[in-house]
Amino acid sequence: MTPVTVVWRYLQGRFVTSVLTVVSVALGVSLVIASVLLTRGIKEGFIAGATDYNLIVGAKGSPTQLVLNVVFRMDAPTPNIPLSAYEDLRADPRVEAAVPVAMGDAYQGFRYVATSAAYFAPFSWRRHVPALATGRLFRSEAPERPDYEAVLGADAARRTGLKPEDRFYEGEEMATYPLRVVGVLRPTGTADDRAIFISLASYWEMNEVSRKARVKPLTAVLVRPKRLSDLTALHRGWNVGPDLQAALPSAILLNIFNLLGLVEDVLAVVLAVVAVVVGLYLFVTMYNATLERRREIATMRALGARRATVLGIVLLESCAIAGLGGLAGILGGHGVAALGASLLAARGGPVTHALALSALQPVTFGAVVALGALAGLLPAVLAYRTEVAENLAPL
Amino acid sequence: MTPAGPVLSLRGVTKSFPLADGGALQVLDVEHLELPGAGCTVIKGRSGSGKTTLLNLIAGVSAPTGGTIVVHGTEITALPEARRDRFRAERIGYVFQTFNLLPAFSALENVVLAMMFARTVPRREQRPRARAILGRLGLGARLGHTPGQLSRGEQQRVAIARALANDPPLILADEPCASLDAATAREVLAVLLAVCREAAKTLLVVSHDEAVLGAGDRLLDMATINARAEAAG
Repeated sequence: MTPVTVVWRYLQGRFVTSVLTVVSVALGVSLVIASVLLTRGIKEGFIAGATDYNLIVGAKGSPTQLVLNVVFRMDAPTPNIPLSAYEDLRADPRVEAAVPVAMGDAYQGFRYVATSAAYFAPFSWRRHVPALATGRLFRSEAPERPDYEAVLGADAARRTGLKPEDRFYEGEEMATYPLRVVGVLRPTGTADDRAIFISLASYWEMNEVSRKARVKPLTAVLVRPKRLSDLTALHRGWNVGPDLQAALPSAILLNIFNLLGLVEDVLAVVLAVVAVVVGLYLFVTMYNATLERRREIATMRALGARRATVLGIVLLESCAIAGLGGLAGILGGHGVAALGASLLAARGGPVTHALALSALQPVTFGAVVALGALAGLLPAVLAYRTEVAENLAPL
Repeated sequence: MTPAGPVLSLRGVTKSFPLADGGALQVLDVEHLELPGAGCTVIKGRSGSGKTTLLNLIAGVSAPTGGTIVVHGTEITALPEARRDRFRAERIGYVFQTFNLLPAFSALENVVLAMMFARTVPRREQRPRARAILGRLGLGARLGHTPGQLSRGEQQRVAIARALANDPPLILADEPCASLDAATAREVLAVLLAVCREAAKTLLVVSHDEAVLGAGDRLLDMATINARAEAAG
């Protein structure tokens, strides 16, 4: 028999209290782990999903809305812009690449993104080039002869079950324009995974307004200048007019991170309060247990246990409860983070690597055990100072 | 190895407790007490006469206000507390009036605990040894039972087994039969005396129970031992 066995017996002896205390610690730790993992996952999701284009030209309004909608497929689409904006940018000698994008409706929650073949072009400066897993890209058809071909992002294909040669549409009014799957993209870890790409010609023909008004609207144009030194001038120039704006995705991302930073600060305060509450609960549990066991502690001392031994047993018990709660909390926190990440991803939120192992797990476990030691310190001192003769007296 | 000389010797041992008014209540004043060797000594005394205080001082669980206590040649009153704890674990067995078994532990574990604290018996030998002692006391079928699952007589026998766990030369028993009915008390007392005689232990029993008083080899009166405090009180 060792002090560890003694602690285990004590935990068994107060089974309900021990389990409740472990669960309380686990809930607190789960909250910490899930919050940190999700916040980190969202940040990394934004970074992973960030565009390689330096400028986004769209309708006047909120630049954050423009970037969130065009790059991350979040928020409502901004108003349309004329095709001439794209043509002007393509003709601009300072621009290396200009990609037109029109955000359409959605099929089973997966948004139509109308664009040109340039969207998939393997420019050397692109970190993530959408590559085909199967099939081919839609054809670059003439505007007046759309082929209604669709290329699905990896998640969109998986969740809808669509595969090459399948035809699909959503809503009776779209039955006239069934889309045909011609390809499926590899996973990229970006919002492209949840998109259904179609040609601009198909989009313009499917869109009732553009079809009837014979206009060719876009939502935005992704722009990559030849030289970064031209970026400021391009940005300023496209913001002068009354109808269009140019947004810098990196600046918007920075704003989003600043907002996330505020959320993290609030979260840190909440988590600190949780740690205090869990620590106090553990302290009260251990304090009561020690008070109840004063006679047993006195008996142990009478049997020859040193003061340091009984102090160690109480500390070990407190650390064991915290440690068990910590382990359960780390596992539970990962479960909650996984659930949160999948829910967020299903709603189109950018979140990646939510379950990655890092220093977080061992550091959290160490901190929880340290919290257990702190909570058990006073009860342990109480045990240490227990007067033997006084507590051995017959009841 | 047992050193020559008395097993237990008390000289000028006093014990006082502080009072709220700043004064002190002296409950014990033993000029001289000696136990020569193996055998059973019974100290009789009425309740409140200082019997338990005397045993606590001999066991070293509380310190005397003055005087010296020598157990098997070691002056325990001169030992620092940690060494006194170790000495007690190795050399003194203690049987309590209310058994004081640890409720979360089985009979076997209660006995093994005493060995764990003393650290004189190698760990792999602790359980076999505890089984053997409990078996000798007729509890071979009760090893896995917790105190709550044992009768009072069985509980006291587990407490006796625990006191014998580290093979100490001196066993102290504080009213060992006071919490038992007459028949069980006789049975437990017989077991205690038998195992102590068999292993040539020195057994010191304090009691006010008539059944116990005649069981020892020697009978002392607390009123005589503690005459000075009684006279002062």
